[in-house]
Amino acid sequence: MFTTGFKFFFGLTIALTIGAVAYGYSTGGEHVGPVTLGWKGGVGDHVGYLVLIGGAFASACFAGIIVAFRDADPAAQSHYMGVEAIAPTTPVSGSFWPVVGAFGGAAMVLGLVLGPAVFVLGLVICSLVAIEWTMDAWADRATGDAEANKALRDRIMAPFEIPVAGALGVAVMALAASRIFLNATKLGAVVWAGVIAVTIFGLGILYAARPKMNRNVVAGLVLAVGVAVIAGGIVTAVDGQRDFEHHSEHHGDDHGEDHSEEGEASE
Amino acid sequence: MTMTEAPPSEAAESSAAPLPAVGGLYDWLTTSDHKAIGRIWLRFGALSLLFFSVIGVLVSFERLDADAIDVFGGVNSYFQMWSLYRFGIVLMVAIPLFVGLATIIAPMQVGSTNIAFPRAALAAAWGYVLGSLITVISVLAGGGWGALDGVSGDEADAIRLTLLGTGMVMVSIILGTICIVTTVVSLRTSGMGLTKVPLFAWSMLVAGSVWVLTLPVAIANIAVLYIDLSGGAGLFVGAPNPSFDLYAQLAWILDQPAVYAAAVPVLGIAGSVIPVVAKGRQVSHEAMMILLGLAGLLAIGGWSQPFFGDERDTLVYIAFGVAAMVPVLASLGGNSATLVSGEAPVGIPPAHMIGVLGSMLLFLAATAAGALRVIDPLDLIGTTADTGVLNLVAVAAILGSLGGWWFWAPKTDGRLFSGIQGLGAMILLLLGGVLLGATDVIAGFVDTPDVLLASADDSLGDAMIVLSMIGSIVVLLGVLGALGAITLAYVKPGEAGDDPWGGHTLEWATATPPPAGNFAEPPARVRSEAPLLDETPGDEGGES
Repeated sequence: MFTTGFKFFFGLTIALTIGAVAYGYSTGGEHVGPVTLGWKGGVGDHVGYLVLIGGAFASACFAGIIVAFRDADPAAQSHYMGVEAIAPTTPVSGSFWPVVGAFGGAAMVLGLVLGPAVFVLGLVICSLVAIEWTMDAWADRATGDAEANKALRDRIMAPFEIPVAGALGVAVMALAASRIFLNATKLGAVVWAGVIAVTIFGLGILYAARPKMNRNVVAGLVLAVGVAVIAGGIVTAVDGQRDFEHHSEHHGDDHGEDHSEEGEASE
Repeated sequence: MTMTEAPPSEAAESSAAPLPAVGGLYDWLTTSDHKAIGRIWLRFGALSLLFFSVIGVLVSFERLDADAIDVFGGVNSYFQMWSLYRFGIVLMVAIPLFVGLATIIAPMQVGSTNIAFPRAALAAAWGYVLGSLITVISVLAGGGWGALDGVSGDEADAIRLTLLGTGMVMVSIILGTICIVTTVVSLRTSGMGLTKVPLFAWSMLVAGSVWVLTLPVAIANIAVLYIDLSGGAGLFVGAPNPSFDLYAQLAWILDQPAVYAAAVPVLGIAGSVIPVVAKGRQVSHEAMMILLGLAGLLAIGGWSQPFFGDERDTLVYIAFGVAAMVPVLASLGGNSATLVSGEAPVGIPPAHMIGVLGSMLLFLAATAAGALRVIDPLDLIGTTADTGVLNLVAVAAILGSLGGWWFWAPKTDGRLFSGIQGLGAMILLLLGGVLLGATDVIAGFVDTPDVLLASADDSLGDAMIVLSMIGSIVVLLGVLGALGAITLAYVKPGEAGDDPWGGHTLEWATATPPPAGNFAEPPARVRSEAPLLDETPGDEGGES
């Protein structure tokens, strides 16, 4: 009737209660205060008494939960569920989202040092992961057929994922290209524009010809992007912020070197 | 809505076989199989082990003569590496190796088809990898857990990054541990009550519970330090001795009693390995479970940190320090009795047996040194005895996890590791651990300070520091030997067989390597803590 786990926690409850009462009386408890949780009389040292009596309550709760679930004994559980044996764990399909979530967490960590932009980026990634993860978890249990589950999940999520992924891809491409153009010479910028255009065109042809890319290639791309974000963040954190040009009130002044000195001086 | 073709309960059996694995990098990043997830922990844990063993040798080398030797380029850099070694060897090596081993073995031991929350387990594994990288890179870039010459503005960012990286590692350990603990609590096979859980799985339930209780306290410490460094109240940054005040706020997890939690699974691994070596049942399974629980209870240490004042001269601290020895000694006694009562191995002892026995001896030595350390008249606190206890615990954990890895290699890696090479590596690690830890404890008796780069002012202390450095080199050689043997097993894989040791628990009822879903058929109803012995004709296999 009483399980081993229940006996342990019930015993612990009794021991902690006796300990709390003894401690209460030995540290100045008055009348029946230590026995009545301070209802009539003092309980002595409040902190110690609270820790012990809190522990007793926690143990009592554990004892109640454990006896209710029969020590989490699978045989007892299956008996109460009216089945011969508890079903094996639901098979869980592979997913990128846990890794993306880990990178999102790392971005948040970096953001706490680098600045709010990186932190928000990490937060957005983690939020997206939370949604995708939830949908994956739901889809895994939707039917008994893994392929049908995947199709079901894609039918719901693809209308959101594809536009968002497309927008993010364009944004990243535009940002990366802008960095290159800003650093290149005029002629170099023209050359780079051509190279980027040809690359995009080539990738488009490749994707059209082989829409099902090797999954290891996709995995490598995800990992490379993630590592680049983290490594870039750490390098930025270590190097500190770049020197910004502080424009003085003399608009139209072209002498950049003077500006940085002004900026430093003002700091 | 007609989306559901069949209710999950009906479909459970038919869908027990997960989707086929693609292999390669894709599997590393997306897997939901607990064995692949565990291998991520083990691989990066092994790499970390090599890295931190090298750091340990370099730190020991510079400690030989602070005035003449400058390996790292200054006192501050030395402090960063000294503290990196201490945090790394516990948080990025010892505990992750156990988590990796348990992620693979514990579900099979309890007869489950997978770990609970496999995606969370995967996120935890990668979180550990990324958190470790952030921590190490930030320390190498000038961060760390404080700075001896005070925290300047430039250093503050890198130090904050180190703290946050450490926090990320801790969060990952907690997440990975929750998956293991939940598996042991709620995914056990039919008939396996809590008292019939194999000892390794039980030890992870105990140690995992202690980690889950303890590490959030350390994360709270990190939050306080982060705020303090980010322009908060200046509680520690503005203190007279900022370096140690920063470091000490977190270093309690490297100090007894909390540091013992990193080695508690050693008792469980030994409890699973020794009966198999002895070819008999554990003399008292339930007594071993109670001892493990006691060891875990005495390793709860969040209360002993300096944030709450100096708790190290209180009666409770002394009682914890002395009592910690009891479960370890009794557990060693129980395993010895099992070994004596069974069939002793003939010829060269198996590497895993030496590994787990050696790890128990080192753990016992650590708790004995810890018991001496808390005796006030000996005045050992603040001496090199602090580092001695840490190193004994760390090497005990490493040796124990490697012993377990050798034992369970057919299930973790699908192959056997070389017994001779393993034996050599285990012996080196045992000898190195004794040299590394015991010498620092002895040096503590002649008041050799644990404070950085301080001279011993005593010939015995100087000699012990030299021996300690030799110990760190021997440990590194042992690590190289072990990792070399593991690598060789991949170059020249040998036939392992499904159950090469005659195992007692359910993981040995699976194929080698275990298939997805672990068991071709659900295990038969479990009747004792050693189900495979129950199936042997002539064995009573009574309820324990």
